[in-house]
Amino acid sequence: MAGQVATGSRSGLRSALPLLLPAYLWLTVAIFLPLSAMVFFSFMTELPLSGKAWAFTLENYAAFFSQGLYWTLLLASLRLGLEVTLWCVVIGYPAAYVLAKVLKGRSREAIFLLVILPFWSNGLVRIFSWAMVLREGGILDTALNAVLPFKINIDLMYSYPAVIIGLVHSYVPYMVLTCYLTLQAIDDSLIEAGRSLGASRLQMLRRVIIPLSMPGLVAGAALIFVPVVGSFMEPRILGGRTGTFYGTVIEDQFIAVFNWPLGAALSFILLAVVLIILAVASPVLRRAA
Amino acid sequence: MRMPKPTAFLTSIAVFASALTLAAKADEVHVLNWKGYGADEPWAIAAFEKATGNKVVNDFFNSEQEMLTKLRTNPGLYDVVMINAAFNDQAMAEKLIQPIDVSKIPNYADISPDKSGSPMLARDGKVYGVPWVWGLTALAINEKSFETPPTSITEMWNEARKGRVVIRDDAVEAVQFGAIATGQNINDIKDMEAVKAKLTSLMPQIKTFWSSENDWNQMVASNQIDIGTYWSGSADRAKTHFKLPVSLVIPQEGAVAWLDAFSIPVGSKNVAGAEAFINYMIDPSFYVEWVTKVGAPVSANTKAVAALPEDAFNRKVMGDPAVAKRIQFQAPITDAQREAYLALWQELKVNVK
Amino acid sequence: MATTRILEWFGRIYIWLLLAFLYLPIIIMALMSFNVSPFYQLPFEWTTEWYASLWQNDQLISATWNSVKIAVITTVICTVLGTAASLALYRYEFRGKKFLQALLFPPIAIPWLITGTAMLIFFFGVGIGRGLFAILLGHVALALPYVIVVVSARLQTLAPELEEAARSLGANQWQVTSRVTLPWIMPGVIAGGLFAFAVSFDQFVVSYFLSTPGQTTLPVEIYAAIRKGFTPEINAVSTIIIVISMALMLLTARFFKFGGEK
Repeated sequence: MAGQVATGSRSGLRSALPLLLPAYLWLTVAIFLPLSAMVFFSFMTELPLSGKAWAFTLENYAAFFSQGLYWTLLLASLRLGLEVTLWCVVIGYPAAYVLAKVLKGRSREAIFLLVILPFWSNGLVRIFSWAMVLREGGILDTALNAVLPFKINIDLMYSYPAVIIGLVHSYVPYMVLTCYLTLQAIDDSLIEAGRSLGASRLQMLRRVIIPLSMPGLVAGAALIFVPVVGSFMEPRILGGRTGTFYGTVIEDQFIAVFNWPLGAALSFILLAVVLIILAVASPVLRRAA
Repeated sequence: MRMPKPTAFLTSIAVFASALTLAAKADEVHVLNWKGYGADEPWAIAAFEKATGNKVVNDFFNSEQEMLTKLRTNPGLYDVVMINAAFNDQAMAEKLIQPIDVSKIPNYADISPDKSGSPMLARDGKVYGVPWVWGLTALAINEKSFETPPTSITEMWNEARKGRVVIRDDAVEAVQFGAIATGQNINDIKDMEAVKAKLTSLMPQIKTFWSSENDWNQMVASNQIDIGTYWSGSADRAKTHFKLPVSLVIPQEGAVAWLDAFSIPVGSKNVAGAEAFINYMIDPSFYVEWVTKVGAPVSANTKAVAALPEDAFNRKVMGDPAVAKRIQFQAPITDAQREAYLALWQELKVNVK
Repeated sequence: MATTRILEWFGRIYIWLLLAFLYLPIIIMALMSFNVSPFYQLPFEWTTEWYASLWQNDQLISATWNSVKIAVITTVICTVLGTAASLALYRYEFRGKKFLQALLFPPIAIPWLITGTAMLIFFFGVGIGRGLFAILLGHVALALPYVIVVVSARLQTLAPELEEAARSLGANQWQVTSRVTLPWIMPGVIAGGLFAFAVSFDQFVVSYFLSTPGQTTLPVEIYAAIRKGFTPEINAVSTIIIVISMALMLLTARFFKFGGEK
């Protein structure tokens, strides 16, 4: 696997700086500084905005540990993130492989773009359209009943599967894209050579193709898992009664009760958990490859 | 990919930004309100602009908390803000809104005294809010599912309605609804355990939580629900304007009533324009047109309601003295209460899974 | 090889199935823009009324334009800055590099709601305020990490010896970058750009906090409309956008090769 090999050694930072600076400066002004303000808020009893007296406290973080509710929800959200990521791998990876290795020429470019395009449509409008498909008497129900000889009742709307379908639909292009980028880079002659040496298709897949495309898989998984764990829009609209997750609770703290300190503390706990998972998972994935 | 020259690039950003920078002009009236809530009707804006020469600029919020945040973070930008009376006190305490000189608002005299005299809208003898409209959070039914409309709130717990009941995803509203169902005062809930038990038993009945008028209308249009909590003005609009099979039920146990009022934020650059706008909003001519064209809650202006046809919903049903007896107006809620309600509501939602 | 043929056909069928899944809601969205009922009510009754009224809806049209402009500028800035940063992270070793890489995740992991609120307070505090410029600032920052992650994934497939070889043949840094590195990672850069566009164009939460009356973007308008007074004009405008972007994309695919064909 082509890793990052030290080329610059001691003068590394000096050479890297001009290339890094614009991006990180931008991130600092627009994200890191604002988020630091939020970190600050998460240790406060009250928002300084509303003119009330405030003091420093650890209570907001303690709330997470003292109330089983938040734990339950965080676990539910992590499970949701994991399931959606797995579905995206299962659906997206083969598609990326076909795009990179089976399709050739112009049609590949066109189909590649067609996979990305839905992702430019508005998320809310997309969720609404799913409601039409999944509900009782909706398109899926009607279509299946028209085809099948017996009567079935399909009402997936406002359920956990609806949340999964909606999220997988929104995020699967990420996986196709990142896997395509690394799969496409694998030299066809390498695969042919392996095959001619008698390796079976499965062996090639396990020993060569998956390891070589691992950076794409990892990047895709991170880009999907991370936002899904904190998502609130899809669960709320598609999940109905069962759509309460960690993200929706954070949203409530911000929108419904204006308790920004608690909402911020909950999000930083989420961030910490997600970063730990990424830190543990990515080397394991790489080594497994 | 060709990279643009850095300077050309930066200039284009600068030009782009400066061309679109916003400045409040003297003859503009900046209004902060819910979207699609009367003040942004194009015909109304056109009529007001023609009559007064002021230009109306609308901005919207999606929750009361957000409205307060917008006022806090944009001092001097807004001239008129629509505030639920239960939040007026908080806006006043934070010095976000200023006293209103009601003598400059001729229609103020016609406001029904029980609304203009509301203690929630005044402090130290000064008026901080001009009552505009009021309405109910009651029940609404899908007419296709009922032979005769139910009269009691217990219909929500009817086994036959299982999985076809909706309730709004709002902690305060849910708890107050539970208070009514257990025969308590919504502004002074003594037995919280009873409310919790009542709502817990409601959860298995529920299909989903709605959050906007559009949710409700979509679900009833596709015949997915039988009954649920709904706003009176929205139910009327669904029936008369969108021709959906919806009708409002004010249960015998009572309903939650709210009062919306206009205020003038501190730092408004066009107070005269703001007064003119508020006066126009409570004018009978605007109100009648709003009800006819769009569907609206009940005006606080007695002359405006009297200008409606005799059998109009807002006059006949909402003006019924028997209704007035069983509704309870929402009073201000403390932050601590709101958080306690939310904690209860979240717990219910999580446990139902 | 017969099995290879069969597998290839399976592959093609699979791709079309995936496209069907991806386009199902889009097709419904488009159909509903021609349906009379504003509540997606069936049976379907044909109308072009929503397109006609969309034409009158200046607010929605101007919000759409704002969205397009911001997304395009965001895409350009993000691909340039993001590619540069990815190159630096790929080429050089230095202390704190792991930290810089980890820093890319907070913007993705923290729910946009919190980031949006944080930006609102901070921009307000330092005098940047709200408006389209603030929205642009925010969008670029949100999309940058995606571009860096995507371009870096592609860079990892580039053997460092390739750059070394070019250097040893006397190419200077700029020549190495423009002749060897950039052509190789171009699919990644394009993909990053597509991501950036998508993140910005569909970004609602941050835009929502940073928009002012009259200076909104399409997702903000859509969200506000869903609260009260939703009309299929929103489906109409979304359909127009999808059709135009599809045409643009297919034209691009026709005349411009970027798949990294070897």
